Amino acid sequence: MESVTQESPTTPASVHSEPISHSSQAPIPKTGWLMERFAHWSIEQRVLAGFGLVFAGIVVISAISYRNTSVLLENSRLDTKSHELVQLLGSVEEALGAAESGHRRYLVTGDESYLKSYRATVEQMPEYLRYLRGLVNEGAEQRDRVERLERLITSQLKAEAGAIIQREKRGYEGVRHLALTGAAKNEIEEIHRLTTDLDMTEQRALHARVEESAGSTKNTIALLGLGAFLQLVLLASVYFLIHHDIAERRRVAAELQSRGELLQAANKELEAFSYSVSHDLRAPLRHIDGYAALLSKAAGETLNDKARRYLQTISNSAKQMGQLIDDLLVFSRMGRQDMLYTTVNLDQLIKTVLHDLRLDLQGRTISWTIHPLPNVSGDPAMLRQVFVNLISNALKFTATRPEAKIEIGAGPRTSGETEVFVRDNGVGFDMQYVNKLFGVFQRLHRNDEFEGTGIGLANVRRIIHRHGGRTWAEGAPDQGATFHFSLPLARSLR
Amino acid sequence: MTTVKPILLAEDNPRDAELALAAMEEHHIADKVVVCHDGAEVLDYLYCRGIFAAREQGNPVVVFLDLKMPKVDGLEVLRAIKNDANLKPIPVVMLTSSREERDLAQSYALGANAYVVKPVEFHQFITAVKELGIFWGVINEPPPESSDPSA
Repeated sequence: MESVTQESPTTPASVHSEPISHSSQAPIPKTGWLMERFAHWSIEQRVLAGFGLVFAGIVVISAISYRNTSVLLENSRLDTKSHELVQLLGSVEEALGAAESGHRRYLVTGDESYLKSYRATVEQMPEYLRYLRGLVNEGAEQRDRVERLERLITSQLKAEAGAIIQREKRGYEGVRHLALTGAAKNEIEEIHRLTTDLDMTEQRALHARVEESAGSTKNTIALLGLGAFLQLVLLASVYFLIHHDIAERRRVAAELQSRGELLQAANKELEAFSYSVSHDLRAPLRHIDGYAALLSKAAGETLNDKARRYLQTISNSAKQMGQLIDDLLVFSRMGRQDMLYTTVNLDQLIKTVLHDLRLDLQGRTISWTIHPLPNVSGDPAMLRQVFVNLISNALKFTATRPEAKIEIGAGPRTSGETEVFVRDNGVGFDMQYVNKLFGVFQRLHRNDEFEGTGIGLANVRRIIHRHGGRTWAEGAPDQGATFHFSLPLARSLR
Repeated sequence: MTTVKPILLAEDNPRDAELALAAMEEHHIADKVVVCHDGAEVLDYLYCRGIFAAREQGNPVVVFLDLKMPKVDGLEVLRAIKNDANLKPIPVVMLTSSREERDLAQSYALGANAYVVKPVEFHQFITAVKELGIFWGVINEPPPESSDPSA
């Protein structure tokens, strides 16, 4: 699957890069290289890259939004301060104005009651100024103005205080020239100018901040919108991927099921087929052999040797075909039969097999070497068939030897499997044909040399494969043969 | 009731029937054999109906039953026989080509008395059929005809 997804985009990418290298040069190859790089990525890598990109976008947007919001908060704090400052400046000016007009009326009339507002201003002023200093800690220019303002206020109040003292000492005449203009005319003008400057600067800053806030609010809204969109994209792609994955899984499951059903149907058909073979193919063979026998009985006297031999051949061929059918049915059954797993004692198994084969051993000189064998996990009936076939083979192919030597043993126990071998000193085989040994109806000897249908080793291989093991053989012409099989120690079905 | 009780051979294949008869002939029991060519005919014979309506009453000494037959197959015939109180005592021997475990198990489960696989080799076949004929037709004592046929 991976190779398919990698292969298909590569082709258009490489086709694409061809005309580029011919026609134009500098900036395009870089994107071409990127595209090619991207085209080489597997679907998982692409999905990961896409998610990474979207995720990074969301993180950046969140960071910017956070910063914007912080700015907004800060601006709103500054705005409050500015408003307070403007208000305070008004109050200060009002108080100074009240003090000025109060002291002037006192200078003219000498009525002490006019000094009430002046004294209140003098009393309040330090508090006002402290408050003012607290409100203008940003901006050197403004701070400077406040300092100057402080000085002027102090000097105005001082001048007024001086005038008041003079009035007390020298009477109206002593301060007459002051009574009209006030004691601190210059300061008052300067204070007014400074206050106006302060006020205007603050208003300007306020205005700028409002603009900035509006901009960053707009910005934030746009970014949040983009973030929401990206999150939607992320969600949608997650949904799409999950949906795709589920759909794919469903499809695979459905396919598996349909294949399973097909396989079951095929198995049923095969069963019906072999059933029919066992019933219907045997009958005509029985008839051939039967009628040949009847013919031989009815006309045997009148037939010559040649004709009798023909009849015999007909009969033999029918029998042989019957044997082939039986073997084929056994072979087919070996593949379908349910397996019963138990622990099998191979030593015991060999003993029973040799007992079963005792008729074949009659009149033979055989030297047996049977090493202790391990216990294995497997189907006892099937494993028995394996040894029957291997030992029968060894007996068959040593028939021409004056003394047959047959050795059965276990190979070195490697990790995970048990190896068993059956060795004989029989006619052996050419390693060139080793691949044909275990094939169905494959024979390495002519029928007049050694009888057989060629199903034995095929059965061995099928049984061992169903146990999850392997079969192999080695030999040389006239030097004997060794057949090996392995069985996994841990049970694994096939 | 003086006549010898017949052997019923259910065999749809005329060649198999002929070979079986040839085998029994050697022991002169072939004339006791009645051949039916399908399951329906077997049931007709047993219930004395159809072409066997006029036959003499009484059960056969044994039924040799092939499994695969047209119309009504061997297992169905076997089921019919073993489900009928009157016919149940008749020994039924399955004589078939099938060596399938399934057939064996089903036949015995339905109450077959024996199951014989027809050998491909004629001599073995002849021996098998001959021995079956002699055992069931001559040596074996058939069940008594207990029930009243008119009942």
